[in-house]
Amino acid sequence: MEYVIELKNVDKEFKVLNRHEGLKGSFQDLFSRDYKIIKAVNDVSMNIKPGEIVGYLGPNGAGKSTTIKMMTGVLQPTRGEILVNGKVPYKNRTANAQNIGVVFGQRSQLWWSLPLIESFKLLKDIYNISDKDYKDMLTLYESLVDIKELYSKPVRQMSLGQRTLSDILAAFLHNPPIVFLDEPTIGLDVSMKAKIRNLIKALNKEKNTTVILTTHDMGDVDALCERIVIIDKGTMLYDNDIEHLRSFFGAYRTLLIKTKKHPEELTDDEKKAELDNVEAIVKEAFADKEFTFSSTDEGWCSILIDESQVRLMKVLNHIQEKIKVYDVRLEEISTESVIRKIYEDAENMKKAN
Amino acid sequence: MRIKSWIALTRVSIMDFMQFRLSAFVMLIGNIIYLIVIYNLWKAIYASVDNATINGMSFNDTMIYLVLASAQFTFMEAYLVWMMSRSIQSGKIVLDLLKPVPYSQYLLFGLEGGNICAFVVTFIPTFIIVEIITKGYIHLGINTLFYLVAATLGMLINFAIDFFVGTICLYTQSTWGINIMKEVVVLFLSGATVPLAFFPETLRKIVMFFPFHAIYNTPLTFLTKGPELSLAESFIMVGEQAAWVIVLILIGKIFWKLSERVITVNGG
Repeated sequence: MEYVIELKNVDKEFKVLNRHEGLKGSFQDLFSRDYKIIKAVNDVSMNIKPGEIVGYLGPNGAGKSTTIKMMTGVLQPTRGEILVNGKVPYKNRTANAQNIGVVFGQRSQLWWSLPLIESFKLLKDIYNISDKDYKDMLTLYESLVDIKELYSKPVRQMSLGQRTLSDILAAFLHNPPIVFLDEPTIGLDVSMKAKIRNLIKALNKEKNTTVILTTHDMGDVDALCERIVIIDKGTMLYDNDIEHLRSFFGAYRTLLIKTKKHPEELTDDEKKAELDNVEAIVKEAFADKEFTFSSTDEGWCSILIDESQVRLMKVLNHIQEKIKVYDVRLEEISTESVIRKIYEDAENMKKAN
Repeated sequence: MRIKSWIALTRVSIMDFMQFRLSAFVMLIGNIIYLIVIYNLWKAIYASVDNATINGMSFNDTMIYLVLASAQFTFMEAYLVWMMSRSIQSGKIVLDLLKPVPYSQYLLFGLEGGNICAFVVTFIPTFIIVEIITKGYIHLGINTLFYLVAATLGMLINFAIDFFVGTICLYTQSTWGINIMKEVVVLFLSGATVPLAFFPETLRKIVMFFPFHAIYNTPLTFLTKGPELSLAESFIMVGEQAAWVIVLILIGKIFWKLSERVITVNGG
């Protein structure tokens, strides 16, 4: 079996009542047959190999959770084919549940009032985990995170971070080939996020678990995903690895230069003058190329350069010949800005149509 | 093995119940208040007639029946419909659906522990108190064993009805009205609030065609009329219950299977 998850032209439609406004409208709705069809997922296809960590991204309401729910078998696709572990997920959901783990960032599958270890013991029995596997898994967990001290703590007394950590461990407990993580780092602090990313990475490596991860945090993506799939308004926009994603929008890099010793002391007008000066120098030499100029709050001049047009070093050399440069900084375009650009472009494309 | 999951769920739900000692205590107080109300109500009813017995039941018979019925209510009523509609509305149901145990079983055994605990904490003490006060009104013998079987079957019937009503939530997303109606119908037609002996002849005959009387009336009959029942009669009564259990669970399963398609998990 080459792929653990296969989606082929998957559509999901929801039928919703066209609601009317106001009190009168509410009464009308009681007898209304006026339905509209909403396409939550539109012609999505992808194949996922065992052991991959796939970041499944998209703005709010893009259809991410709907796709995940179809892959887990809770929802049935309107059209198209889904195979998970070679089986149709919704056909025998209860049996297939044995082979997947799920974490939904906003809910917990743990027993709220009981100590964590009791939830683990329950999962051990309902997933029919052997004593040895269970013990090995706990030993692995204890080597990765400080979970031992949480065993006896009732879940309701846990912080959100501890609870999410526990939920992730619970999802991996029966060693499923696939784990779905729906916004696992939502609402967590920086150090907890890092802890959880390391944990997911370690479990993926140790058990070769396939992980499908949805998130709005690009830190998660940078830390975990080799491959990302972007979806918006139900339609797939991108499916490839992160390196390609960056080049997808040209090889952009940002050059920051300091033209005065203490540029932060300049007034806004003086900053503008410095920037205009730099702009003139650059444009003079590379008239046919495109740049984006801006000045930072600290008075640095920022030049966004598309390296497929002109090398950054060439630009820098040219500037240095003309004026004194006190300091230089380079910035890679961040995943975050690329993703934002993709979302915005999709939005603009929609408007243009 | 399925049974292993059943035991595990029951075990966890017992522990879960124990976490809320106070709620058991409040339940007990609520029950006492209810009993005081019905005691006075029925006292007034009996005072208004000349006979010492109405429909073959004396004041004592009626009171004992109702005390036991309310004690049975405390361990049988699991508020499953509320639970289901809450988890459907909040979207939590998705996690329960993704367990390797069928949803209905997950619910049943997840509530089982609470039922067992409430049985020990409220029913048994009530039973003993009634025995002491009435100096052995309830016959102890094979009928008490029959009661245990009948109460278990009654609980399963109650569960199956609740599960059916809860499934309607998938369509309506809200079940407040339906659930209130269900509770009134079940509690009234099962003989939990008024003994079936007080029903008019025709209504009583009609009620016997429904499964509700098998929830409260049948088990309680084993306690209140124990020695009068022959073994054959007892087996027929339990057999009827078992038949209802099978029919209702089957209907619930089919309805659930058909309804699963309309699941639209709320939120996130």
